[in-house]
Amino acid sequence: MLTTALICLPLLGALSVFLLPAPRMWVGSLALFFSLAELALWISGLTRFDFGSPKIQFEQQHSWISDLGISYHVGLFGFSLWLVGLTVVVMTAAIAYGLWSGRERANAYYALMLFLLAAIVGVFTAQDLILFYVAYEAMMIPLYVLIGVWGGAGRLRATFKFVAYTMAGSLLMFATIVVYGLSHGFDLATAQQSGSVWLFLGFAAAFAVKAPLFPLHGWLADAYRESPPEVAALLSGVISKVAVFGFLRIALTQFPGPTHDLRSLMLALSAVGLVYGSLLAFRAPDIRGVVAYSSLAQMSLIGLGVFAQNELSLSGSVLQMVNHGLVSAALFLLAGVIELRSSSGALSRLGGMARGRPILASLIISIGVISLAVPGSNAFAGEFLILAGVFQQGWGWAIPGLVAMVLAAMYMLRLVSALLHREVGEAVSKKAPDVLLPELCVIGALLGCMLALSVWPAAISKHSFACLEQAPLTSAGISSQSKAQVGLACVPGTGSTTATTTGTAK
Amino acid sequence: MIAASAWVCLLAPLTAVLAIALGGNRLPRRTAGYLATGSTVISFAAAVTALIATLGKSASQRQTVSTAFGLIETHAFKINLNLLVDPLALVMMLVVSGVGSLIIAYSIGYMKGENEERRYFAYIAFFAFSMLLLVEAANFFVLLVGWGLVGLSSYLLIGFWQERPSAIAAAKKAFIINAVGDAAMALALFLLIQHAHTLDFAGVFGQAVVLGENTWLINLVAAGLLVGAIAKSAQIPLHTWLPDAMEGPTPVSALIHAATMVTAGVYLIVRAHPLFEQAPHVQQTAAGLGAATLLAAGAIALVQTDIKRVIAYSTMSQIGYMFLAAGIGAYSAAMFHLVTHAFFKALLFLAAGVVIHALGGEQDMRKMGGLRRRMPRTFIAMLIGTGALVGLPPLAGFFSKDAILATAVSNGVYGKVLFAAAIAGVLLTALYSFRLLFLVFSGEESELVKKSLPKRKRAEGPRWMTAPVAVLTLLAIGGGWMQVAGLWHPFSSFLEEVAPSFAAEPSASREWLLSAVSLVVALGGLWIAWAIYSARTQRAPRAPRALVEKLYFDRVYDLVFYRPAVAVAHRLGSWFERPVIERSGEEIGFGALMGGRFAAAIQSGLARTYVLLVAAGVSVIVLLFLVLR
Repeated sequence: MLTTALICLPLLGALSVFLLPAPRMWVGSLALFFSLAELALWISGLTRFDFGSPKIQFEQQHSWISDLGISYHVGLFGFSLWLVGLTVVVMTAAIAYGLWSGRERANAYYALMLFLLAAIVGVFTAQDLILFYVAYEAMMIPLYVLIGVWGGAGRLRATFKFVAYTMAGSLLMFATIVVYGLSHGFDLATAQQSGSVWLFLGFAAAFAVKAPLFPLHGWLADAYRESPPEVAALLSGVISKVAVFGFLRIALTQFPGPTHDLRSLMLALSAVGLVYGSLLAFRAPDIRGVVAYSSLAQMSLIGLGVFAQNELSLSGSVLQMVNHGLVSAALFLLAGVIELRSSSGALSRLGGMARGRPILASLIISIGVISLAVPGSNAFAGEFLILAGVFQQGWGWAIPGLVAMVLAAMYMLRLVSALLHREVGEAVSKKAPDVLLPELCVIGALLGCMLALSVWPAAISKHSFACLEQAPLTSAGISSQSKAQVGLACVPGTGSTTATTTGTAK
Repeated sequence: MIAASAWVCLLAPLTAVLAIALGGNRLPRRTAGYLATGSTVISFAAAVTALIATLGKSASQRQTVSTAFGLIETHAFKINLNLLVDPLALVMMLVVSGVGSLIIAYSIGYMKGENEERRYFAYIAFFAFSMLLLVEAANFFVLLVGWGLVGLSSYLLIGFWQERPSAIAAAKKAFIINAVGDAAMALALFLLIQHAHTLDFAGVFGQAVVLGENTWLINLVAAGLLVGAIAKSAQIPLHTWLPDAMEGPTPVSALIHAATMVTAGVYLIVRAHPLFEQAPHVQQTAAGLGAATLLAAGAIALVQTDIKRVIAYSTMSQIGYMFLAAGIGAYSAAMFHLVTHAFFKALLFLAAGVVIHALGGEQDMRKMGGLRRRMPRTFIAMLIGTGALVGLPPLAGFFSKDAILATAVSNGVYGKVLFAAAIAGVLLTALYSFRLLFLVFSGEESELVKKSLPKRKRAEGPRWMTAPVAVLTLLAIGGGWMQVAGLWHPFSSFLEEVAPSFAAEPSASREWLLSAVSLVVALGGLWIAWAIYSARTQRAPRAPRALVEKLYFDRVYDLVFYRPAVAVAHRLGSWFERPVIERSGEEIGFGALMGGRFAAAIQSGLARTYVLLVAAGVSVIVLLFLVLR
């Protein structure tokens, strides 16, 4: 029931927010109330969640189109719980930020945001491929509108590109789902695994566009630049994680053979994207450009972890998905905060904002150094786990990761200095205030989550793949490739492989 | 008891950071300084408590591990947040919290009236926390966390005066070079995870011999750790950040870039000695790099004109001695020099800080001179610090440096080569440090001095500054007596259990003989410096270009790494990303088609349209799937 409630509550919220004939503030407040209620609901789920069990929890299934075995089947397991949590937290922050910055056409705006929330939760909880696809598409539509209507000056161009890329990906995925589902079954918990490389590529391409992975990131720079800050925060913080979730939940678990065969290709694309994104972030001329390309780099790092596919790298990837979601959301909101205080986002025209603005400076520096994965931060814990795992898959794959660690320091410190240090830039308005209380609450809450995870990253890394508890690996078993597959056996629905892979592990 | 002290020692400065950060503007400026100082004093008291409790145990049981919780866990692998208190950690804890609290107390006077005192004290207390985490870590991961966080606080403090472009550039440089070191260390840790399946010191060192059977593996692990160590300790070739780091406030230079953080590399080698001993070539490389650094830095120090940069190069050079000692397995000699160096180098920096403070921030020695009469107490402190640095008896450096020299000469051919470098370094040390002393304190009073210090005014700063200098002066005088060759050696026997030195022990008579030799060399250097610089009137010899250019390291790095990276990034952007990747999206005809219709819909501008759009989208999907049924 809880899962359905998690999906329906924001839907109900979207409807009531849309219909509420009230001023902007009231509409926004109602939306914030619904997202906070959703957060409370998720926390209650978290407290009742049994991390030791590999089963799908809070499960619900109703037959929908019985001829084809399509059903309304939802539930939560291991890492999907954390991703839902990330979604709810980032969405709450985004709605609060939107409320504070006073978006026009409030009824439609907040209704779309809540609808988007329901759709994303739907994607993370769907256990049926058709349901997954419906939620996936339902997620895209509000995004198109949010960018196209509430975006910046170049929003139309950005929206076209975004639509072109994602529509292409979606249609491909739809075709793949139909072909796959008709032969293997639509229910993810019972579907047969497939050895078809083409079907794998159909899914992989769709998810690679969404993540994005190099070289399918053509939509990224414009979309991240032209969206309203809170929508950019959602795009890079949450929507990109949907893609990685798709890789984990569908592409890798249902296609173990093709994954194995194409691993080198996927690792190579990720490695290239990691270094490429870092280099471009280092030369990007504006705040959002730096954050956008650093996001490409970080998603590629997570991609490395996912395709290295062993215990360490997968646990690290899930941790890093949550970390990056929080960090990039906070960075985009900060970009919004700065854009409100200056006439431009161009780094050459900014600077000296630290003077007289201690809170802004503290927020930018703390989030900046977490983003560059300073040791001791949650991002470092994730990166360390990922690269430790990748290293065991093949030491060469970890080298781009280490290079990117240095590059990350270069581009992030460049950004921090360009914003805060040196002389006051010409675009900075002298009277611009320090971070105001509402902004502080929103970004501070995100920072609080990051710090909590910095102190205890094991909260996520240990609680993402439950069934490992039942098939404990000896430490000697971490390195071998076939045993590495075990991590994925923890995703529900891979029952047949669970037996075989743990069999080989022993 | 020991475990509780260790946690108090670690967490006290962190509490101060939180108090200052959360207090914000409500906190009086002074209070921030008191909080930071008080918290490090508490750390020091806790470290002393832990020391006493540890001394009460028998020598073989002086290791206490305290585990808090699992920091990083997957099901098959676990890294705990655990602390280790053993003699080696205790020495570092005492130095960090002891010298640290003196320097932070000094900052109360030095930073007074500075615009953002609170930020300064929050940062420096955060540094104390990070450094204590580094030295108390009981596994490599926690060590790496402390390692990274000291780098972060170093970055923040070097760039403390954030409107100065040179300070910001120096801060970034320090962070990025240290990120290279961090990455190399991470690589070593990945290897350890893969082959030792643990990062706990006890676990890893217990398997050191087994790991050592795989020569490649152990060499790579040791090399990774060594790269981290030379980056942090500013040894050739990753040393270029340290002189620039002098852009930070002087107490920061004293604490981070002289007494504690930069010696972390030495600590790491001593701590990880079981691994280094399995990789003798890497360990010898450490000694060789130390020797190279002590010579190069000593030579460059000769031509520097900035008072703090001279001391910075001197720090590199002295850490070179410690690397040399650690590289030939004389761990207690390395640690002994680390401790005395912390005393006298902190003293030199703080005394230089008094001078800089009095002269309104001027750091150019050419504009100084004749300060002896104006600042007699500072002169004496500086004289003692210089004497200790050069190694004049009975000051601290005399005992610790001579222990290194004597051990080097007793260790085969390689040891003799290292000894030759080290004794040449003694000459250089005497030259540059007395040059500094004479340039600043002797001769006629310069224009600047006359202008900044009107007659009859003693300008040696408030008591907050002079008291720590006095204490450090006493330590620089007496600190060396804790170990005297042939008479007593409590320090090395305390460390023996953790880091038993494998270098051949020199006999006491040989040690005294070498002391005499190095003393003669040092006095020779003093005499030359006197002849050239004391009068200040004679024309000093022209500085060789290579030394002025700091042996071209910065230029080469700029040409080989920075510029190519920038060029590649730039080309990728203009030749690939924009023309190929970004444009491709626009040229997808499908996209254009969709976009055209979509734009028309959007521009109608009515909220209803968007909802219709949403509804239409969803219904299309639903229809599609119903048709397919």
